Amino acid sequence: MRSIHASIPLAMTLSAMFSSGIGMAYADPVTITLNSWRTEDIAVWQDTILPAFEAKHPDIKIEFAPINTNEYNAAIQSQVEGGAGGDLITCRPFDVNREWIKRGYFESLEGLPGLANFDKTSRAAWSGADDKTYCLPVAAVLAGFYYNADIFKELGLKVPTTSAEFIAVLEAIKKDGRYTPLAYGSAESWQLAYNGLYSIGPAYWKGEDGRLGLIDGKKKLTDPEFVDAIAAFAAWKPFLPAGQESLNYADMTQLFTLGKAAILPDGSWDINQATSTNLNVGVFGPPAPKAGDQRYLQEMPDMGIGINAKSAHKDAAKTFLDWVAGPEFQELYVNAAPGFFAMSSKPVTYKNKLAQDFADLKKGAELTPRLALDRLSAGTPPLDDETWRLLQVMFTKSDVTPQQVATELQAGLASWYGPQKK
Amino acid sequence: MSAPDRISDLAIPAARRRQDREPWPVERIIVHALLILFVLLAIGPVLIVIINSLKTTPAIFGGPFDLPTAKTFSLEGYKRVFTRGNFIVNYLNSLIVTVTTIVLTMVLSTLAAFALVEYRVRLASLLGGLFVLGIMLPIRLGTIPLIQMMLAWRLMDTLAALILVYTAMSVPIAVTLMVTYFRTVPTDLKEAARMDGASELRTFWIVLPLVRPGLAAVAALTMLPVWNDLWFPLILAPSRQNQTVTLGVQQFVGQFMNDYPALLAALTLGAVPLVLLFTLFSRQFISGLSKGYSK
Amino acid sequence: MISPAAAYRNLLLFVLPALAVYLVFAVLPLATSIVMSFFQTSGASGRTFVGLANYERLFTHPTISARFWNALLNNIQYFAIHLIVEVPVGLLLAALLTSGKLARSEGIYRTLLFIPATLSVVIVGFVWRLIINPLWGLVGFPLLGTESTALTTISLMSVWQYFGIPMVFLYSALLAVPNELVEAAKIDGASGWTTFWKIKFPLIAPQFGLIAILTYIWTFNGFDLVFALNGSAPGPNYSTDILGTYFYRTFFGSSGQLADLDLGAAVATVIFLTVLLVTAAYFWLIQRRLKSYSV
Repeated sequence: MRSIHASIPLAMTLSAMFSSGIGMAYADPVTITLNSWRTEDIAVWQDTILPAFEAKHPDIKIEFAPINTNEYNAAIQSQVEGGAGGDLITCRPFDVNREWIKRGYFESLEGLPGLANFDKTSRAAWSGADDKTYCLPVAAVLAGFYYNADIFKELGLKVPTTSAEFIAVLEAIKKDGRYTPLAYGSAESWQLAYNGLYSIGPAYWKGEDGRLGLIDGKKKLTDPEFVDAIAAFAAWKPFLPAGQESLNYADMTQLFTLGKAAILPDGSWDINQATSTNLNVGVFGPPAPKAGDQRYLQEMPDMGIGINAKSAHKDAAKTFLDWVAGPEFQELYVNAAPGFFAMSSKPVTYKNKLAQDFADLKKGAELTPRLALDRLSAGTPPLDDETWRLLQVMFTKSDVTPQQVATELQAGLASWYGPQKK
Repeated sequence: MSAPDRISDLAIPAARRRQDREPWPVERIIVHALLILFVLLAIGPVLIVIINSLKTTPAIFGGPFDLPTAKTFSLEGYKRVFTRGNFIVNYLNSLIVTVTTIVLTMVLSTLAAFALVEYRVRLASLLGGLFVLGIMLPIRLGTIPLIQMMLAWRLMDTLAALILVYTAMSVPIAVTLMVTYFRTVPTDLKEAARMDGASELRTFWIVLPLVRPGLAAVAALTMLPVWNDLWFPLILAPSRQNQTVTLGVQQFVGQFMNDYPALLAALTLGAVPLVLLFTLFSRQFISGLSKGYSK
Repeated sequence: MISPAAAYRNLLLFVLPALAVYLVFAVLPLATSIVMSFFQTSGASGRTFVGLANYERLFTHPTISARFWNALLNNIQYFAIHLIVEVPVGLLLAALLTSGKLARSEGIYRTLLFIPATLSVVIVGFVWRLIINPLWGLVGFPLLGTESTALTTISLMSVWQYFGIPMVFLYSALLAVPNELVEAAKIDGASGWTTFWKIKFPLIAPQFGLIAILTYIWTFNGFDLVFALNGSAPGPNYSTDILGTYFYRTFFGSSGQLADLDLGAAVATVIFLTVLLVTAAYFWLIQRRLKSYSV
């Protein structure tokens, strides 16, 4: 026993040694930590957003502490389960966050004045079973298609609005032979769902109609509208680069930014990367199945910020969140991080042209979040994971049909999700 | 024949020195050819990283296996790593964690190994067995309890947490290895020291120089997994001021997905210290390991 | 001579520091993890004892158990490829290095060949993905994107990184082969080839058992490279999922999947037992027999 006691003071001394320098620098104002998975936002927060906040609230210092997106859930859960974690935690949308709320990670935000700036739909992704809101909506992302305008001009192509036109454009690029029609690969299965099926699919399953239909059990994934959507997605296959099975997300973006591919199906969050080589880039929305059909667009609530229930500085955290809810932050953030869109009901202008183009796609379109993340992924197998896996199987094997994918998806969902069980 | 002088004369035996001047027989050529082939295979990929870190983005994808030319040469990647990354801090953290872990492991395991060899009571073999068992303990599987423990002791997100876990991880193999070295120490020496009235600690101090090669092997074995670990830095010390090099590089990869020159520069910089250390100390490391066998 | 009482006291004093760190930061967390596997977390209200319910879920839930067996089989393949490729390559290189035909270049070769083992998986994954990239690399075939080749490809990347380990082990063992034996064989007119297989190989043979079991422990604790390349749901179609990534995914969740601490603890325990039982069996059966022959 003696040496265990001996090792604790040693450890304490070591830790004090390492942390004292940092602790002393912030001794005066309250310092609160904000966890986020947006490692790429470090500069935005440190140089733009936090100085703006701290200028108004000199008594509060915010430390932006990002964790890689892959490891984010793991790190947050393991820290919060044990009673730590940042004072402010960036919230994943829907099912993951619903579970986090259930486990008591967050302080309820009811009563926060700034919450009035967000309508019920915007708050839905971060509400608990008790209908209370636990995270302040910060930003949503959209999915669509970046295109190289110079290649389109060179080949005399027009931006497609229907599925038939879309395929015709791809055919034309393929026939010309100089460029890859679609910068797209299936090594990273998540983006087959998020940038592929969930982007073009809503036009077939009629957005919220189909999505909510699955949630309350009135529709099945084997219904024609879902099978048709999967088939429309499978039709991309002939237009992908050789070896697409091994290409990951970075490869795809690279192929597009090097000017070697005409179209990049991707999310709005990738605006900076897609335009990093100063190509003449435009954006279009998912094509409608037939001319004159209603347009749909994937708008995914992406992040909210909640207050750690175990935080020792809840008042400071609330002051910060109230500021985040206001127009100053909304305007600052969406313009500092192009590709993210404000969810507040107050109007926001986007200085980035491509971001404004993306925002314009919302006009006249029905908006819908990603198909499988709300309730349908709260059991095993989660529908979202199964969608990733089966779309990848469909894209890496030649003998898997859209019908088979739909059947297996439905079987997996029906195995645990109440409303889908017979 | 005792081990130490065997190793030293094996380094450059007289017979081989003579061969240097002989013409090259076929056998010798084959041996060299095979080794060169494997060396190319081993360091080729590393060279690809270094070469490309010195080029512009279009040049990387235009010809990933070409050398940089006057036109494609660029140090921009390195510049961006230092302006946008957190490299100096990462390096310092890795150094503090690795060096402290090595020192702690060496001290604790030499003391323990000395005693396990020296005091041959029943308990000693039992304890020795317990340490051997530890070599195969997958310590990661205990991550959640570790987190709770670190939180309770207010060590979460500190370098101290990493050091303690890494020391616990390294001690079993270090003790087991050091035991084999202490076995080679002649009993007469220790008895002589005790006759002179030396305390046990003093006796330990006297025999310590004889097991020095073992310490080199322990240091090397401890250093590798600690410096390159991704798991525990991620979980026990993830905040910006506590990130180690490996985690820093990994995050840089996520952050600057399409900035290949900067990425490759970050990868190169992350690899330099260990490659350098092993190059400098490879002889000590090897002789340390081989002495373990020649007991 | 030291009295038994003093021996016990000294033993404990010397061993305790190492033992304490090892017990507190390695054994205790693992034991706690095992205990956790018999409980269910019920939100903020704490834990309830559920007996073997978590194990029942692991082995009977159609999706959960299918993925587990898949990961186990993949892990066995991952281990087998390491063993089949790494050990012969290590042996060949160790033999070449100690062939007596190298003079001073021996150290240079040895150092260069060991470089991959000092790299972090971040760089290994990155550079090999670049080299075999169908767009800019040397291989047109999507090795990583095809179910039948993905696991073998990742295994070989890992082999590339770690062949230096068996090489160094065998090299050190070969150095420890008494010189007189080799010289005697030479005088008898034996060729280098014969000397190697007849004299040196039998002497280093016990090393193979040790290398095999270490490879087993390391590959069954494998995680980093697969995670760095393919994330925590390693595709295509989970064809590169191994126990380490399965455990990570279960314990911590992925972006669309909740973390399941209780099931994760059960998975951890099962992995631990898989490693422990095989290793224990090895030490009881094989190592013991080898010892009795060699004495």
